[in-house]
Amino acid sequence: MKSAFRNGYFFTLSRSLNPNPNPNLPSTLFSLHLIPPHSSPSISPPPFRSVSPIARISGLSFTSMAGGEPHALPLLEKQFDDFRSQLEESGTLRDRIRAVVAEIESTSRFIHSSLLLVHQSRSTPEVLEKPKAQIVVLKELYNRLAEIVRESPGGYYRYHGDWKSETQTVVSLLAFMHWLETGTLLLHTEAEEKLGLSGSEFGLDVEDYLVGICFMSNELPRYVVNQVTAGDYDCPRKVMKFLTDLHAAFRLLNLRNDFLRKKFDGMKYDLRRVEEVYYDVKIRGLAANVDSVEKAAA
Amino acid sequence: MLQRYALLQRISVMALKPHRLHNLADTTSLGVAKRPRTMATESSSSSMKDAFSQYADYLNNQNDKRERIVKASRDITMNSKKVIFQVHRMSKHNREEVLQKAEKDLAAVTDQFVARLVKELQGTDFWKLRRAYSPGIQEYVEAATFCKFCRTGTLLNLDEMNATLLPLSDPSLEPLQINVLDYLLGLADLTGELMRLAIGRISDGEVEFAENICKFVREIYRELTLVVPFMDDSNDMKTKMDTMLQSVMKIENACFSVHVRGSEYMPLLGSEDPTSFLLAVPSVDI
Repeated sequence: MKSAFRNGYFFTLSRSLNPNPNPNLPSTLFSLHLIPPHSSPSISPPPFRSVSPIARISGLSFTSMAGGEPHALPLLEKQFDDFRSQLEESGTLRDRIRAVVAEIESTSRFIHSSLLLVHQSRSTPEVLEKPKAQIVVLKELYNRLAEIVRESPGGYYRYHGDWKSETQTVVSLLAFMHWLETGTLLLHTEAEEKLGLSGSEFGLDVEDYLVGICFMSNELPRYVVNQVTAGDYDCPRKVMKFLTDLHAAFRLLNLRNDFLRKKFDGMKYDLRRVEEVYYDVKIRGLAANVDSVEKAAA
Repeated sequence: MLQRYALLQRISVMALKPHRLHNLADTTSLGVAKRPRTMATESSSSSMKDAFSQYADYLNNQNDKRERIVKASRDITMNSKKVIFQVHRMSKHNREEVLQKAEKDLAAVTDQFVARLVKELQGTDFWKLRRAYSPGIQEYVEAATFCKFCRTGTLLNLDEMNATLLPLSDPSLEPLQINVLDYLLGLADLTGELMRLAIGRISDGEVEFAENICKFVREIYRELTLVVPFMDDSNDMKTKMDTMLQSVMKIENACFSVHVRGSEYMPLLGSEDPTSFLLAVPSVDI
């Protein structure tokens, strides 16, 4: 039932300054009545197959149309005035969205810069401390964003472009942190949970999530290189296993020829780079001790 | 089999809430939690597979839907164009007949093709797939407003248009309504057709009709200049505004030539206007 409200109905609903407090209210009817009565023949027969009152006043032929004009033009003007106020309203909504998104962007930039320390052979828990504290901030920001978008029922995808790329970055950072901590992939639901979006009308778009995961994979080759330099010779094996699984999982998707497809195509280069590092480490016998442990386990 | 059914159900749930996977995800996260922690790597790679097969279902479903909507939109475009051509066949002698046919065709477009689009879009996010159906809707707006203008000389309002779409959709679901942006983009195209019509009418001698078109198009252009800056993706609209200005000027120039050289044109046009000062001249002489 709720889903029925996600639609392109914004222009009529937006005029209600009072955000619909009861989501179960049949907003269709509600909004239709908001239209000024003289411009909406709501239930009457299809208007362009019938003769409108204006046509009757002005007569059917064009020779007498000059007489009808004073009636026609104010109506025309009225409609455009309405459009303008509707569009202005959605413009202010968009500005508010952008303000929040700018904050999300700066928070994620901060997280990113803190995470960069991972390449400087600091211990992982120590590195994660600061960015993890920022997740709460992100959560709060997404909460605010969701609240703003809620004012425009069904408007999620109308404004989606405004937070799309920032959200992809956020997902990639969250996924990277999650991987550093657990060695597993952050799933879509887990990402939504972290951002406090579970169960709310405002969700995390699956494609945004997938793009974010691709971004995370771009980070891994550099991580592996620096870990090996710092003396962690087991790292390439772990990362390679993870990336191979991830790559295999991505191949389950039938992608269109779009951005996600491009990002996924890039993932194989990350995998190749990690494999190269693994090869370098292994051929020099640096990972030997780990291998024997593996064999013992098998 | 049961599993398949469950999957189908999940897909249909997703169709309703396109950007979310909560319903199925709840079950997966539970499944993950139940697995013993010690098998971390193994369970993670299989839960990854599970999750991705859900994403795959979601994407497949959505791509199929988009494909169908694009097709429906193309059909609307094609048939709306036919309506517009029909209106252009109008001359002062067959006006009623031509318009009646055009209106009939337009009603057929609504009942057949727009209805199909409405069915496809039902229960999904209209804004998400807007790019897939927007061209068809714009053309449809163009055809409907064109018919209406030729009939009454007035602009068909968005609310009026949307009212005709209501009966097409399932009353229990949110109906597809044309959004302001598509309507305005359609209107911008309308002026191009009106320009063609005006030129045709002038050469057919219906100068007054052309002048009415001119007034109307000017009015629309003027109103749109105030609205365009607020439109979401105004670049598309801005180029349309430029072409619109061209159209307005073409009509104005045509009206101007007739006005200036009107006395020269009139006899050639074979005006049947009884007030014509050339009425005395028998038409056989021309």
